[in-house]
Amino acid sequence: MGLSELLSTYGEKYLQGLLATWSMTAVSFVFVMMLAVLVTVARVSPYRPLRVVGDLYVQVFRNIPGVALLIIIAYALPELRIVLDWRTCVIVTTILLGSAFGSENFMSGINTIGVGQIEAARSLGLTFTQIIRRVVIPQALRTTVLPMTNLLIAVMLTTALGSQVPLSPQELTGVVSYVNTRATGGILAFLVSALCYVGTAFVISLVGNRIDRKVRILR
Amino acid sequence: MSQEQAAEKNVPVIELRHVDKHYGDLHVLRDVSLSVARGEVVVIIGPSGSGKSTLCRTINRLETIDSGEILIEGEPLPQEGRELARMRSELGMVFQQFNLFAHMSILDNVTLGPREVLGQPKEEAEKYALELLARVGVAEQAHKVPAQLSGGQQQRAAIARSLAMRPKAMLFDEPTSALDPEMINEVLDVMVELVRGGMTMIVVTHEMGFARRVADRVVFMADGQIVEEGAPDDFFDHPRSQRARDFLDSIKGH
Ligand SMILES: Nc1ncnc2c1ncn2[C@@H]1O[C@H](COP(=O)(O)OP(=O)(O)OP(=O)(O)O)[C@@H](O)[C@H]1O
Ligand SMILES: [Mg+2]
Repeated sequence: MGLSELLSTYGEKYLQGLLATWSMTAVSFVFVMMLAVLVTVARVSPYRPLRVVGDLYVQVFRNIPGVALLIIIAYALPELRIVLDWRTCVIVTTILLGSAFGSENFMSGINTIGVGQIEAARSLGLTFTQIIRRVVIPQALRTTVLPMTNLLIAVMLTTALGSQVPLSPQELTGVVSYVNTRATGGILAFLVSALCYVGTAFVISLVGNRIDRKVRILR
Repeated sequence: MSQEQAAEKNVPVIELRHVDKHYGDLHVLRDVSLSVARGEVVVIIGPSGSGKSTLCRTINRLETIDSGEILIEGEPLPQEGRELARMRSELGMVFQQFNLFAHMSILDNVTLGPREVLGQPKEEAEKYALELLARVGVAEQAHKVPAQLSGGQQQRAAIARSLAMRPKAMLFDEPTSALDPEMINEVLDVMVELVRGGMTMIVVTHEMGFARRVADRVVFMADGQIVEEGAPDDFFDHPRSQRARDFLDSIKGH
């Protein structure tokens, strides 16, 4: 099967796959960032139990394979009467994994702030919450644009876990299996999806670089 | 002056009573007692590691103490929480490394405290901030970020940031030690102006000229203890303790 035949037969399927990948990526990433902020705040808080929980969260989800986590969420949670639809299972898996890495990015961003600025803020009379909100988070966000850009790409690639469960519509990787069970698309069927991933990643990097240049903090 | 105001005038702005502190086995502050009256300028000097920074930091409770008492206008320092934050906001602190917020303009650095802690509206905070920045001579730099300023300008901006809280007293921990020599005076000049304005100050510094010119009292620390204190000319010209003599020789040496 040639490229033109592949596209004329399955073009729409690929397009749907691309859109599904994009939307799962976008939804996941929003929650990844929110959760990463929360986990990081816990990890730097003055309360030891919170710090322990935050560190534990990162250790667990940074070190568990995506497929294993997906299986737990998709097949073990229903035992506890928590039933999520397939798409949600994939997204939750991606969020848990991604936020652990996101928090690691934030921690390295926070380490560049320097204890002096925090002490200056404390001596002005700012409370912990005010310091986090006005000094720590803005700087952590602005110094971690590039790593977070990489994380966004990683999140997109993680949504390929969707090929392991019956999604409708399927995402890009699922589409490849779909095509190959029906026709002998072979390597070409895979290449089309790969190009979509690479193209998206390229655009993400471009935008990320631009944002980084704009918000980077002079030191 | 009413009797009440007179009575208040006699309460020291900052008072330490028998303060002790350890870092593990290291006894950094040993039975330190110090009282600073309103409008008084106290210069603290002493060898490296003698506990000068630690002393400043305990007054603002950036460090806890093991025993003793610290009173601000006769009130004990609160242990933590909002009360402590409020008390901290009444003492200005200026650090050796300036510690300006790197992601904010100089103006935002100065208005952050008044807006977040005192709840001032933006216009009011900015108006006063610009006044202060003009007073310390960096009004032109208001819209730049700290990294665009020289060390001397950053330190003057940091002083303005503290002043914006209208503090009852200011603590300076070696404010000129990180500066190139040609910038030291521009910062000292600002501090002299503060003294003229009647600010109560504790200044850790080895700038003897400054100490002679403005200090009411020089406190000499060694090994976590106050070894001797006195009027600047007395202290510098006739130190009583051997430790102070050795120390003065060592800093005059270069
Ligand atoms: N956080 C800390 N943990 C352990 N030891 C500390 C800590 N901070 C300071 N020290 C030690 O406490 C002693 C006093 O330190 P401090 O910074 O108060 O001295 P200093 O008089 O300000 O010295 P310098 O002139 O070098 O600034 C030093 O021996 C120092 O090594
Ligand atoms: Mg020091």
